[in-house]
Amino acid sequence: MNRPRFAPYLFLLPFTILFLLFLVAPIGVAIWNSLHATKSSGLGFGTARTVFVGVENYTRAFRDSDFVTGFGRVALFGAVQVPFMMVVAAGLALLFDSAVLKAKRFFQFAVFLPYAVPGVIAALLWGFLYQPSVSPVIGWMRDVGIDVNLLAPGTVLWSIANVAVWSNTGINMIILYTALQSVPREMYESARIDGAGQFRIAWSIKLPMIAPALVLTTLSSIIGTLQLFGEPQVLKSITSNIPSDYTPNMSVYAAATLGQNENLSSAMAVILGAVTLAVSLIVLRLTNRRTMVAEDAA
Amino acid sequence: MTTHRRRRLVAAVLALVTASTLTTACSSDSSSEDSTEAATGTVEFWGWVPGLEDLVAKWNGKNNGIKVNFHRMTGDDGEKVEAAVDAGAGPDLVQLSTHDLPDYVIAGRVKPITKYVQDIKDNNTASSWASVTFGDEVYGVPQGIGPAGLMYRTDLLAKYKIPVPKTWDEYLAAARAIHKADPKVYLANISPTEIGQWMQEIQQAEGSWYGTKGDAWTVGVNDDASKKVAARWQTLVDEKLVLTEQMWTPEYWAAVNAGRIATISYAAWFPSQLVENAAKTSGKWKIAPLPTNAGSKNSGDSGGAAVVALKGAANVSIAAKFASWLNDSDETQEALISVGGLFPSTKNGLASPALMKPQPFFGNQVINEVFADAAARTPATWKEGPNYGTAQTAVTDEFSKVVTGKQTFVQALDKAQAATIDDLKSRGLSVAQ
Repeated sequence: MNRPRFAPYLFLLPFTILFLLFLVAPIGVAIWNSLHATKSSGLGFGTARTVFVGVENYTRAFRDSDFVTGFGRVALFGAVQVPFMMVVAAGLALLFDSAVLKAKRFFQFAVFLPYAVPGVIAALLWGFLYQPSVSPVIGWMRDVGIDVNLLAPGTVLWSIANVAVWSNTGINMIILYTALQSVPREMYESARIDGAGQFRIAWSIKLPMIAPALVLTTLSSIIGTLQLFGEPQVLKSITSNIPSDYTPNMSVYAAATLGQNENLSSAMAVILGAVTLAVSLIVLRLTNRRTMVAEDAA
Repeated sequence: MTTHRRRRLVAAVLALVTASTLTTACSSDSSSEDSTEAATGTVEFWGWVPGLEDLVAKWNGKNNGIKVNFHRMTGDDGEKVEAAVDAGAGPDLVQLSTHDLPDYVIAGRVKPITKYVQDIKDNNTASSWASVTFGDEVYGVPQGIGPAGLMYRTDLLAKYKIPVPKTWDEYLAAARAIHKADPKVYLANISPTEIGQWMQEIQQAEGSWYGTKGDAWTVGVNDDASKKVAARWQTLVDEKLVLTEQMWTPEYWAAVNAGRIATISYAAWFPSQLVENAAKTSGKWKIAPLPTNAGSKNSGDSGGAAVVALKGAANVSIAAKFASWLNDSDETQEALISVGGLFPSTKNGLASPALMKPQPFFGNQVINEVFADAAARTPATWKEGPNYGTAQTAVTDEFSKVVTGKQTFVQALDKAQAATIDDLKSRGLSVAQ
């Protein structure tokens, strides 16, 4: 009887088809595109043809200093935004997990709510708050003597980070909070008997116990940072201090749409994908070692 | 489940997948060749001119067997057209800036409509027809041009006793005087991302981003004319005589409405935008000719648009028929001018009584007299060329760093020039130095 062996594959079939069609095939197309280029000759009229060009698009992408700078920019962004958001999310999760808070449900909902606002809408909303002539917030700040331009070249990156923190802290908090719920309560009891206070329990028991969830949320935040696109692309329409190649993903988009060069754009996308993969592996490797060390110690 | 039935299920799934792949293949095949030349059918049309919905409804009301479905382009729809065409999707007809057209022609994203538009050729001005003609083929129906004018606040200039500047030297003096009189008020706003305002002054100075030398392109993003305009803009920015808000933002319109911007130099289609976004300043504006360079009477133009048939158009003949009616018929001129805010490139449009109507918003001035005069004084030196999108993005990205003091306009132009040439060469096109 081979019926039981066949059925699981049948159930996997829809996934496999979609996976091949919408993930593997596009990656294949992107790689193929990145190795080809539309070449013309002379003035170009009526001569366009697609030819294999090897790594030409890749060398061009690497020579594009603005594209490379974009990686530095999202690295800086991630180095500040991700730890900050994770600390806030973990802090809130611990707070909600502890018994000290009244109206817990309300506050949890309030923290989570921004996540339900689509990213583009969030960026639009904050965009209004960042523009001096239409923002009440900047008006109030001016009233108390703080004159700040939130869209200046030096500040706009952090204005974007603010939107990202506002949007994503909630979901990370929920994931961490859920992980905390699954920690056996008896552990806290024995810790208390051993004389540990609330902070000691949080630091030495709760956080190590939810390490896998912390790794997961941090990793997806880092990936999200590398892929940064929606917020800056929206804010670009209100400030000229966000150029079309502000982040790697924006470079990909700009090369395809404004530059009308899908081959260069594909090469950039492949580079971005490779960097994302590499960073993810490095983070996993590092944190795996850490969690294992922590587990050994425990 | 018997083996037989199971096999049938697998076969059915396979058939379904194959069928859908085949249909996709078939449909993309049939759309790339215009095999059908039927006199009836459906035309998908994307455009952005205000009031096109009504004109499309008027056409569809004729019941002549050609049904037009209209989609209003907003946001980044314009940027998506190219990707849509390459993917075999996209509309049959689309409104396109004539600056973008050469790139579309070179990449084969538009279809020639030469034989279908011979009857409207003579209704278009020579320069607008030239902007859609490459070699022997016509690739679009011209839809308006953008001659420039200087919109100014009569109340503000009167208040500070500043005469309307006729030359760029007077303009600079006015910029200094008005800002000195009231530090909150600026003569103008320079938006680093608004390429049209740059382009109209380049054209006025007889510069051009592109040219041809034999069988090779020349690139003039940093040509002498551009550097001349750059020097002027540099002075305005260095002396902080202009606001540098990005155009079209709430911040920009707030400054316009608050009377912090005394003049706006832009194209003939801009007044309708002003009416829409700064309604409460009604009656305070007038329009004068664009200030001129010393020793020249030239005006400028930021470019026009055309309605083109894309590669995927199923039936070019009916698409061209509608495009011709929309832009060149006597029935549509008034709506295009008064609702659409277009400055016509058609002879029947230029003769339309709608064009020379006084505008209450501008103190009952007949504003199109100024723009018609500007169109007549625009030099024919500007040439369109390939990779316009790359050049424009390079210029606006670099200009953004100028207004924050990181570099000069000339440095920005040099970088944009290099990027444009680099891109042309990577496309295999010949570039002459």
